[in-house]
Amino acid sequence: MKNTLHIAGREFSDNARTKGFWINLLMFPVIILASVKVPQLLEEKAKPTRHFVMVDQSGELAGVVDAGLERHYKRELFRKLSEYMKTHMATPEGEDGVEQPNMADMLEKMPADSFQMDMTGDMTDSILDMLDDYDPRMMDALANPESLDAMLAFMKPKMKEGAPEFEAPRRMLERVDMPEDEWGELDPMTSSKDDLVAHMKPYLLDKKAFRDHKDPLFAFVIIPEDAFQQLKGRDKPMIDPTEAPKLGVQYWSTNLTDKDLANVIERALNLEVQQRELLARNLDGNEVMAAQSTKMLFASFDPKKAVGEEVVSMADTIRKWAPIGFVYLLWVAIFTVVQMLLNNTVEEKSNRIIEVLLSSATPWEIMVGKLVGIACVGLTMMVAWILSLLGVLKYLAGPTVEWAGVVLEVVQTSGLLPLFALYFAAGYLTYAGVFLAIGSLCSTVKEAQNFMGTAMIILMVPLFTMVFVAQDPHGSLATFLTWIPLYTPFVMMNRAAADPPMFDLVGTGVLMFVTVILMLWLSSRIFRIGVLRTGQPPKILELIRNLTTPLKNQ
Amino acid sequence: MSDYQYAVELNNLTKRYGEFTAVRDVSLQVPRGSIYGFLGPNGAGKTTTLRMILDIVKPTSGSLSVLGAPSAMDVRERIGYLPEEKGLYKKMKTWAVIAYFARLKGVGGKEAKQRAYELLERYGLKDFSDKKVETLSKGMGQKVQVLASIAHQPEFVILDEPFSGLDPSNQQVMEDVISDLSDAGSTIVFSTHVMSHAERICDRLLLIAKAEKIFDGTIPEAKAIIPKMVNLSGVHDANKLRALPGVTSAEATEGMPGSYEVCMADDADPQQLLRDCFRDDIELTSFNYREPTLHDVFLHLVGEDAKVATFR
Repeated sequence: MKNTLHIAGREFSDNARTKGFWINLLMFPVIILASVKVPQLLEEKAKPTRHFVMVDQSGELAGVVDAGLERHYKRELFRKLSEYMKTHMATPEGEDGVEQPNMADMLEKMPADSFQMDMTGDMTDSILDMLDDYDPRMMDALANPESLDAMLAFMKPKMKEGAPEFEAPRRMLERVDMPEDEWGELDPMTSSKDDLVAHMKPYLLDKKAFRDHKDPLFAFVIIPEDAFQQLKGRDKPMIDPTEAPKLGVQYWSTNLTDKDLANVIERALNLEVQQRELLARNLDGNEVMAAQSTKMLFASFDPKKAVGEEVVSMADTIRKWAPIGFVYLLWVAIFTVVQMLLNNTVEEKSNRIIEVLLSSATPWEIMVGKLVGIACVGLTMMVAWILSLLGVLKYLAGPTVEWAGVVLEVVQTSGLLPLFALYFAAGYLTYAGVFLAIGSLCSTVKEAQNFMGTAMIILMVPLFTMVFVAQDPHGSLATFLTWIPLYTPFVMMNRAAADPPMFDLVGTGVLMFVTVILMLWLSSRIFRIGVLRTGQPPKILELIRNLTTPLKNQ
Repeated sequence: MSDYQYAVELNNLTKRYGEFTAVRDVSLQVPRGSIYGFLGPNGAGKTTTLRMILDIVKPTSGSLSVLGAPSAMDVRERIGYLPEEKGLYKKMKTWAVIAYFARLKGVGGKEAKQRAYELLERYGLKDFSDKKVETLSKGMGQKVQVLASIAHQPEFVILDEPFSGLDPSNQQVMEDVISDLSDAGSTIVFSTHVMSHAERICDRLLLIAKAEKIFDGTIPEAKAIIPKMVNLSGVHDANKLRALPGVTSAEATEGMPGSYEVCMADDADPQQLLRDCFRDDIELTSFNYREPTLHDVFLHLVGEDAKVATFR
């Protein structure tokens, strides 16, 4: 018993003292934080303003595009403003005694279907989306320079002391005019599109500097003079594939992955052309928009929830998907530590340290010592990860990343954590047995890696299936995988949020228990035989024979 | 400390791996406090025998007792073991490795650390105490491993090939370690290929070849197995030589006319042979008597077959 503890202690300190282990621990919160913060920063600071030149040969649509750009900007302005206010507004508590509504509570009560919940966005986004959906032109009225100033002046007394001044965001999309002389021989209004494009190409390809801009010209847009003849729609002529294709509005850019600009222009033009169609048909645009944006209220209910709370809330949606994160964490944690176990066992075997150990302790003591030591490494890692996850969520949870608060709430209250601990223990002991046995049979790390290659393919299954299992937690795939002992811990973790039937819970509990006992017994037999073997790992048949004959005949 | 006469007793020990017999019917008694050498060609069964003594490998048949107990596991805290192939945890500090193995043998934490530092200092590795094992040279690493196997002050030490891979000065250190242990009252069993070490430090020997014990006894007993031999040259009449008392045979040395290899009876005295030669007017240009070495004994017993395998 004492030796088991000594061995466990050594295993722990040997692995916990490596640089890799600490990097691993520290990287986790850094990665979560970075994955949220870096895109935000990039969007705000690093992404250059997209400058583009537009030639409007129709002479009617430049203003329409500009209005679209303005709406795009206002949306960003409004989002920033709301973020600013939420960050810097003094809590009204104490002033009039009204507590500010807790965002997590609000989400808990809000039907999931009423908004398109965007995990990376927030409430303001949802409201703006809704406005956009009702009538994009409603955005025009929002946050005009005068009304912005008025609003800021009105809010001023409610702000916390020392709150910074509101800084309007910069424009991300900007139309620039080409100076007359830069066109040379061409007249943009009448020259052929091919000539115009040929003239603009050097700018787009960064071969020619555009005015004093450091960045190359982002895009070049041509609106043809007969833009209103080049339409598609239900009562428009079908495109005839035998004719030369009409190109309509042309958008030229070397960057076709960032679609922001193209989308804004296209939306603005479509809105305009739709308005004109309505007019041409003698319909009232506002009426139609109002009619079109009308929707039936629709809410989903979960019969398993308490009476009066059946509405499937946003938190429920998050709760349903949270296990996927846990499955992934479980998988990474288990395979990180069993990998350590494998490496240490192979090291001891190839070094022959194992013989000295065997002269000091029984194989069972050695095995249990290693299992416990590495389990402690794993637990340290898990606890550090979960604490840092909670810490990061807590740090992020605020007006700008509202979902973090909800996830935090869900993680703390859903009861997933204790299940996670249980499934970690079961998964670890099952796989530790397998890897310990593999380690004891291999004399070199290379041999072990050959085994690992095959093993990994089998072990990837829970990762490949985790999304499907979460979508249909009681489906046949989920049920089938549940009863394969190697996958049970992962799949049950995956299904945990969907209240699996009692039979499955208890049944898999028994199954996992039996599996762990069987695995440990088997691997202790293999371990005894394997550690003193030299040369090639045994064939399967030989292994089975080894397992069935008494030790003294081996 | 329990009372026992023999540190190890083996009774008809046999170990078979499937069809292959690694050790056949070996019986042995290692007296308490002795230094016992296990000699034999590669693959003779030395390591398997040692592993059976340690209860790392179970014998197929036969019985044994170690320090009076039926299994080494029962008395493992009183046994030290240095395996044939040497290795240590590379990432651990030198003192920590020694202390770790001592703790596995039941030494308390503080004491283990203290002993580790003492041993490292005594055997010239003080400067490496706080370095990681991976910074040590091979020979130093091996010394550390020896120290790790004796840090718990065992009363019985098993050393499998302790001299292999050591340079002459470190081989001397190893001999010192063994004699220090012996002075402290420990029983020592070691296996080796190097006859000169065995000859210098062993009290008793076990010779194994092809899984079987072929000799077991003291060094003088071993040497007595092969007849005393005298090399004579300048001899004209071999018959006169053969007639002398105590001479059992006299064979002409090939390619050297007048040279003879004379075998003598066990109780005969080489000095008397010289006197007899003078007395009988047997002409001699040289008279050369040398004690047989273990090397000779070994070759005599194991046969020429083992020559290549043994003295690699």
